[in-house]
Amino acid sequence: MTKKPLSIKQILYSNQTRWLVDHGFFAFFLFATLLSSSFIFIVVGVIFQRGITPFVTDNFGLGSVNLWSFLTGDVYLTGDTFYSSQYQIGYLIVSTLYNAILALLLAFPIGVATALFIAKIAPKWLANLLRTVVEILSSIPSIVFGLFGAVLILDQVYFFTESLGFQSRAGLSVLSTVLLLTMMILPTITAISEVAIRSVDSSIEQGALALGATPTQKNFKVVLASAKSGIFSSAILGVGRALGEATAVSLVSGSRFSGYSFNIFDTTATLTSRMLEGMKETQGVDYSIRFSIGLVLMVVILITNFGLNFVKRKIGRVNV
Amino acid sequence: MNMQIKKGTLFTSLAIILAACGGTVSSSSVSGSNSVAPSTSVAPAFDESRTIVLYTRDTTSGTRAGFFEGIGFSAAGPSDSVLTDGFVVRDNTAQLAAMGGADKYGIGYISTSSLNNTVKGLNFGGVAPTIANVLNDTYKLKRPFMWMLRAPFDFPGSDPVAQTKGKVELITEAFVAFMNTTDGNDTITRAGAIGFYLGDDTWDDVKAQYGVCAEDNSAVTLRLGGSDSIQKVAEALTLSFKAKCGNFVPAHEHTGSSDGYRRTNGANKDQSVGKDIGFSSRPFRNSGADLELDVPANQRGQLAWDAIVAIVHNDNPVINVNADILKRMYEKASAQPIRTWAEAIAASNAL
Repeated sequence: MTKKPLSIKQILYSNQTRWLVDHGFFAFFLFATLLSSSFIFIVVGVIFQRGITPFVTDNFGLGSVNLWSFLTGDVYLTGDTFYSSQYQIGYLIVSTLYNAILALLLAFPIGVATALFIAKIAPKWLANLLRTVVEILSSIPSIVFGLFGAVLILDQVYFFTESLGFQSRAGLSVLSTVLLLTMMILPTITAISEVAIRSVDSSIEQGALALGATPTQKNFKVVLASAKSGIFSSAILGVGRALGEATAVSLVSGSRFSGYSFNIFDTTATLTSRMLEGMKETQGVDYSIRFSIGLVLMVVILITNFGLNFVKRKIGRVNV
Repeated sequence: MNMQIKKGTLFTSLAIILAACGGTVSSSSVSGSNSVAPSTSVAPAFDESRTIVLYTRDTTSGTRAGFFEGIGFSAAGPSDSVLTDGFVVRDNTAQLAAMGGADKYGIGYISTSSLNNTVKGLNFGGVAPTIANVLNDTYKLKRPFMWMLRAPFDFPGSDPVAQTKGKVELITEAFVAFMNTTDGNDTITRAGAIGFYLGDDTWDDVKAQYGVCAEDNSAVTLRLGGSDSIQKVAEALTLSFKAKCGNFVPAHEHTGSSDGYRRTNGANKDQSVGKDIGFSSRPFRNSGADLELDVPANQRGQLAWDAIVAIVHNDNPVINVNADILKRMYEKASAQPIRTWAEAIAASNAL
């Protein structure tokens, strides 16, 4: 009796083949994950290696940068560019957080309200339209936002500030920066909050309505409360974008050179806008210090994210 | 039914929002007309008690170096920390010029070729920022436009061993000769700078020495780079010259004065960004690893002057300044600082 050759189907569904395919895919997934996660180590590694040189070398005779005064001082550079290593970015760390937090305070309520409207209140055709609008808004490149800000926001802020009797520097100010950042993080907050709100179980809502809640009471006390974890995630991502924005900010901030300032009509600067400034013709320590600022920025973002995640865990016991 | 209610609510809400907007618009226009009515002129008067807002380019800018050297405050060229607190850094000429239009109490500086009627260009030491005044050397606030070539036989197609020059090198030499003719000079002037050549040779007088220009050079690429302030002038020169020299292909990539040296004779000369001619909008200098002055003198020269002009808002009453006034405005540690427009006007009137 001769052995019947295995059919293709039998081969495909045999235990060996299934084992092979399973493990093959496992290997592929693992490889993809390792590849993508290794980028973070490569990026951080390169930035770190370059970023610590101003502190550990004597910068070709200029002397090493003092870490403490670098992190706390309020005059960006004392002395000649390329011939001094007395960099200080304490005031930039503060103003970066200040701008991002103000932008979040403005964008968060507007974004969540928009998200609630799109997800639960608007009729379907309008919700679809608005969703597309939000998507388009979030895909506008930051340089386009920046140019828009440089033309419209600066003018309006200038006239507004002057009409209040304050002296404005061509509208370059915290206010302009915050308005621009608000516009830029609004679509992020809206889009992510909207997904969170939309996925709230409708049976909870029906229950609330059945218990006699008005639609507004239902939206605030039931829907938003149920979605708060997701809504908070949108705020975290929004702050991330605000902290990391460079191009647009550099066009409206005024590139403040020194001094802590919380006056919203005064000029400002952020870590990223400072990294960008004068990048074209830089060299030596003036170039390396931008990597150091990048390191500081990563730490600032990390701490901010941890802080916000901590708050999120405290308030967001209901998960969606 | 439910949908009906929703639509109804939607339109009611929209109506409420629109009504609210309409309300604010009309009320603000009313209050606006009220506030304008009592004053005689539409534009509010220039308030001399205001602080002067200082605008500047960043420390790597050639215009900035030219400006501060021109007003006798060279220390401020590379350093921000010697400038009066509250100054504003703007990244490019367009932004500085836009500032002049927007900020009534600002002062800044741009090159004279960028000057237009959206801002007011100030006289310097009583001399107006005109071409004639730059050429007769009475207008002192200016910087040179310089050119620099690769070393002999270091061009694409040239052979350093056999000491033969390729087409790129021959065209480059012809281009330098062209800049030193009245044709080249006219081109530079039309592009907004002020040509340095004051002789009367035309291209027709010298072209016989450059046989390469009689050939077809449409397959030859000439790479030009360096100062972006010179880009407009350099492009005008190549446009005019390529028709006279066998239609060679000019490739312009202007990235900054320091690259004028780095990409022809410095660290980047043999990389893909290498150039055949580099331009610099400041005098050549030795700075760090950039040994521009060590390049032999026959490989570099001046092609033009670029005058820099201090600009203010058109409503600003100041007409004339000098190096001293500008320095007292910009210098933080000044013995006699000028911080308000009233002080600036008084100093200007005393000239």
